[in-house]
Amino acid sequence: MTSASAFEKFLFTGASMIERDQVVFVGFHWPMLMSRIARRLFAPDLVVVYENGIVEDRLTPIFPTSPCDLVAAENSPACLGSVDALYLWLGAGRVGQTMLEAPIVDRYGNVNTTAVGPYDQPKVRLPGSGGGTELGSLGRGLLLVSASTNPRSYPDRVDYVTSPGYLSSRFDREAAGYKPDTGPQALVNPLGVFRFDKWGEMYASAVHEGVTPDQVRAAFSWPIRVQIEADALAAPDGEQLEVIRQEIKHARERAYVLPQEA
Amino acid sequence: MTTGRKPVLSMREAVERHVPDGQEVFIGGFAFSDPMAFAHELIRQRRQKLFVMKTSGGVLVDQLVGAGCVDRLLSCHVWNSVGPVPAHCFRRALEAGGTGGLQLEEMSYGAFTTSLMAGACDFPFMPTTPVAGTGHFKHRSLRADKFAAIRDPFTERSVCVVPPLKPALGVFHVQRADCYGNSQLFGPVGEMRWAVAACRKVIVIAEELVDTDVIRERPECTIAPGFMVDAIVVEPWSAHPTDAYGCYLRDLEHSQLYGEMSRTTQGFERYVDEWILGTQDHRAFIAKLGQQRLAALSARRERTV
Repeated sequence: MTSASAFEKFLFTGASMIERDQVVFVGFHWPMLMSRIARRLFAPDLVVVYENGIVEDRLTPIFPTSPCDLVAAENSPACLGSVDALYLWLGAGRVGQTMLEAPIVDRYGNVNTTAVGPYDQPKVRLPGSGGGTELGSLGRGLLLVSASTNPRSYPDRVDYVTSPGYLSSRFDREAAGYKPDTGPQALVNPLGVFRFDKWGEMYASAVHEGVTPDQVRAAFSWPIRVQIEADALAAPDGEQLEVIRQEIKHARERAYVLPQEA
Repeated sequence: MTTGRKPVLSMREAVERHVPDGQEVFIGGFAFSDPMAFAHELIRQRRQKLFVMKTSGGVLVDQLVGAGCVDRLLSCHVWNSVGPVPAHCFRRALEAGGTGGLQLEEMSYGAFTTSLMAGACDFPFMPTTPVAGTGHFKHRSLRADKFAAIRDPFTERSVCVVPPLKPALGVFHVQRADCYGNSQLFGPVGEMRWAVAACRKVIVIAEELVDTDVIRERPECTIAPGFMVDAIVVEPWSAHPTDAYGCYLRDLEHSQLYGEMSRTTQGFERYVDEWILGTQDHRAFIAKLGQQRLAALSARRERTV
């Protein structure tokens, strides 16, 4: 078996950061893949909730293409609605961990999934928030994930704050009235894990084997602080990698658009 | 609100009678139970200048935008969630140097839902997701008053609120309805109960018309009692290619086909010519999909519906 690719390591690290026995609000795309891998490798009792009101407490035989693909609802213990998911569970603090894909994210963890460039004449128009604003605003234990290592994905400031991170600082977020214990805790990308300092600014805290500080800096549009606090992140062993590859294969069969290397 | 039997219309009649050019219409579904057959009929009848409100825009909104039916849109996101790939017509209508012609107002899913709740309950406003400092709070187009920050009278803290939203017309896909309009949606319901109740006039598009005795077997699945419904359209497979819980699965192949063809304006026009204008009604659309595909997608089971 070939060794794990950067994308596979990214999925593995994201999955390994999901806490056991936790209620996790899983946003669209890579968080869904990570939560499946987590359930198979680390957290069999994981309870996943989706924005439309589905509770997923087992590995669904068919990989949902999105949270609204109702193969996720088959044999589910509860199918309720968006008020349940976004407010009764997420907003009221019943969700312990929140996972949001952050294709464009800035220095203070603000996520843009709306528009690049001027809002009225955007260079690139993205889909918009869906429930992503709620995850950034209300989610406890917020984990951001991005498969990108391109500096365009990591601007100093996003052009549009779709999901609020720390705005301009932790103080700024608090002053704006967001609840304590909300705001991004970490970002996972193929280089490693990034955390937020006491000001709410992102820094590199752990990297994968062989990733250099220069490589990290090259992926960000601002001079990001590299403050590696521990050994290189664990890579998946042979059996774990096999599970990850099965799930990637499953995703491909379910029409997921995957990075070229995957 | 009226009781008694409700008119059962064909899709063509429903659009002719209730959706003139310029109509404000909330369209139900959240990437499942999207009433695609309704959107196709709007395109066949070449509706223009509609004000469409839909939480999850998806392929349905992309097609209406591409076909020039919409000039105002309120939504929380628009994309093709299979892949995912962009909603190409939506992008072309909004990006610099694109085709233009679309005014967009955006709210997050929670804010949109709470605004519908306020409308449904006839409350003056509702607290909603905190959005201070976000793009949604700052950028306003069609609804300048879509958010406000007020002082909580009990704690003195600032709180984000939304005004009531009461769309003039709502069109919702459901699994089944009876002749009185009692309508049942199975599986997750997203914001649908609130949205139905917020709309001033409601048309349901049901996979099937059933006896009231069948409705009585699962009263907890009724999202709209008959007195909240004004007209019924019966149209099997009307949410295709999105899924209808207990009836059929999401059609990934067709979503991919649309994603591929809609990459260019010419490709999109070919899709419309072949699949929408080339089929005179939804029955013909479904026939074009073919029995084999329908059998593969069918998820009917005694247990659910």
